[in-house]
Amino acid sequence: MDLERTDLTPPGGAGAEPDGEYPIIQLDALRMWFQVGGSVFRKSLAVKAVDDVSLTIYRGETMSLVGESGSGKTTLGRTVLRLLEPTDGRLLYAGMDITHAWQPELMWLRRKAAIVPQDPYSSVNPSFPIYRVLEEPLAIHKMGTRAEREERIFQALENVKLTPAEFFAQKFPHQLSGGQRQRVAVARATILEPEFIVADEPVSMLDASVRISILRLLGQLQKKLGLSFLYVTHDLATARHFADRVGIMYAGRLAESGPIGSVLAEPLHPYTQALMEAIPDPDPENRLRERPTLPGEPPSLMSPPPGCRFHPRCPIAKEGLCDVVEPQLRELRPDHSVACHLAS
Amino acid sequence: MVVLEVRHLRYYYRTRRGAVKAVDDVSFSIDSGKTLALVGESGCGKTSTATAILRLLPRNVDTYEGQVFLDGQDVTAFSNEEFRSKVRWRGISMVFQGAMNALSPTTRCGPQIAEPLRIHYDSSQEEATAAAGEALKNVGLPDYVSERYPHELSGGMKQRVVIAMALVMRPRMVILDEPTSALDVMTQANIINLLKRLQKEIGVAYLFITHDLGLASELATDVAIMYAGRIVEIGSASKVYAAPKHPYTEKLIHSVPRLRSEETPEFIPGAPPDLTNAPLGCRFHPRCPYAFELCGWSSSELAATLARQAPGLEIEDVSLAGVGKYDTEDPWKLVIWPGKGTRASSIASSLRELAADRRSSVPFLRAIEKIDERDSRVVVRLHPGQMPELMGEDDQQAACWLLQKEGSGSGTN
Repeated sequence: MDLERTDLTPPGGAGAEPDGEYPIIQLDALRMWFQVGGSVFRKSLAVKAVDDVSLTIYRGETMSLVGESGSGKTTLGRTVLRLLEPTDGRLLYAGMDITHAWQPELMWLRRKAAIVPQDPYSSVNPSFPIYRVLEEPLAIHKMGTRAEREERIFQALENVKLTPAEFFAQKFPHQLSGGQRQRVAVARATILEPEFIVADEPVSMLDASVRISILRLLGQLQKKLGLSFLYVTHDLATARHFADRVGIMYAGRLAESGPIGSVLAEPLHPYTQALMEAIPDPDPENRLRERPTLPGEPPSLMSPPPGCRFHPRCPIAKEGLCDVVEPQLRELRPDHSVACHLAS
Repeated sequence: MVVLEVRHLRYYYRTRRGAVKAVDDVSFSIDSGKTLALVGESGCGKTSTATAILRLLPRNVDTYEGQVFLDGQDVTAFSNEEFRSKVRWRGISMVFQGAMNALSPTTRCGPQIAEPLRIHYDSSQEEATAAAGEALKNVGLPDYVSERYPHELSGGMKQRVVIAMALVMRPRMVILDEPTSALDVMTQANIINLLKRLQKEIGVAYLFITHDLGLASELATDVAIMYAGRIVEIGSASKVYAAPKHPYTEKLIHSVPRLRSEETPEFIPGAPPDLTNAPLGCRFHPRCPYAFELCGWSSSELAATLARQAPGLEIEDVSLAGVGKYDTEDPWKLVIWPGKGTRASSIASSLRELAADRRSSVPFLRAIEKIDERDSRVVVRLHPGQMPELMGEDDQQAACWLLQKEGSGSGTN
């Protein structure tokens, strides 16, 4: 079937410009469970990496997914790109159900949605010159003639400010700095002119001063190419400056979501509050006090605690409620939802 | 009381492209119970400074000089064996970057923590085990951890084990090289709290190496900002954070994304220099918005950008003085060979115009001192810049000519 024509038509009819209110990704009670340790004699256990997450990402916006390692944020990012097949729930791309889409549809999705991986040192084939790194996606999707590909590759390098493009095209990854490699990763992600990019901790391995330049670059490309982003990170501070909305994940579930300004100005979930407390701003007064932290560690995703998954570490948990009933996301402020019984 | 004092430490690596000046004339001191945060971008020489202090030298050392004093004693005079037995781990220990992933996977944590005791003191099994148990308690880990293998522990617990290992010999000083870089924010906060508590309880001094000024402020009583192998600013944390004197420090502070402020972080344009061929004069000047003639513009910088600034000039060749074509080796002299049909005098006059015209917008044009015509060539003489030394009061010094130019304090703000 010709997906591009039939399914990308915005609801306003053919030719209607997709605007900010038009969702590009919709997750409906999505589950991504991994089966582990099963044998003939033993029942396998499920690692509930993403459990019942509903989320919408609109066109042209940056949605940030924040959580600790093991919270399921990376799995969610990979599932959204259909690098993993969801266990349950529904996943919609531009209104089209891709939950269980198969190969030809996935080839189409790979052109529309790309990833910027975390580690610029291992994500690029060390034996390929940059030109070939960038040509690979074009070749796989059989796009363009040689001359057209060349033009596209140089354009992509210029887009990520690796100029002169001819100079960088013939370099090998080991000849570039971490920041430059991450620019190559961004160029590779954008070379097929996608609409949606999952940036999975794109700057966590880079220096503080280089981080901002990469995030700024992503922001510029977003404007120029009309991209939507899912920015997966553990760093609320960069999310504050580069995301429009944020989802806070804890133990496979969404604890809170909303516009970044609203969430940070008034964090409703005790976990979000604790996460914010743990992050230092540069201030020499920090030395004089201990930073408030949560007791314990995040729960096992194989056997999460009953009720609210956060209740064993929660400073305000109520016995008989939080350890029994699992809270659902409630919209308490405009577009700002929280999964906590006690928030109001 | 000063625990560690480093004087004029130089540490170069030999490579095929020449010596990498990783640490170039670094001096600082740390008082007992205090923390000096050593902050800079990657490749600025932070870790090299640490390994140089501990004399953990690779085979390709080119230069290693300067003095390190531990409790007033010059340990650079020690023989290697003496240094190993008296200084390493007993006087100064180190938490290496990523050390939690370097724990031996085949040894239980207890014996690993006790290993330095067994080697240095020849302790018996029982003594060492008891000391390891004590060390675990200090870092807030339960007893059973000593029976566990590293893969059975979480990242935060492994990092605590590594810290226990660094403290087991009760050193006066611990070097922490990015001790939380692989950890989650919550775990990071816990480790930092632990380090604070340990410092209060046992009075150990830290040299805290990080690229994150936010994190540095958690522990630092003093801050040293490093750039391209040199300390460009050093002083008490309260002063450096509140009123940075070096433009690099100022830029670095503004590059930190803040959670509690609307202020948009700014990045620092350009990249740190190649340390085999560091810029003349102040090493930060090519990236510095306030640079002026004294900061040391070299003729190669002028040559490289002349074409961009003056595309109308009919230039046949630009050569640095001393590179085959002319005169003496002088990095501040540039020789321009006019193209066919162009006169040296016309190039000289347009250069003069250019220099006068764009002095304000293109900093290195300010460095042009003299433009001469000689033998149908144009010779440009640049201001011989100079490398700035640390200057200022004791509690805040910066290596920046602006301080001298405009009087201290007002330079960069």
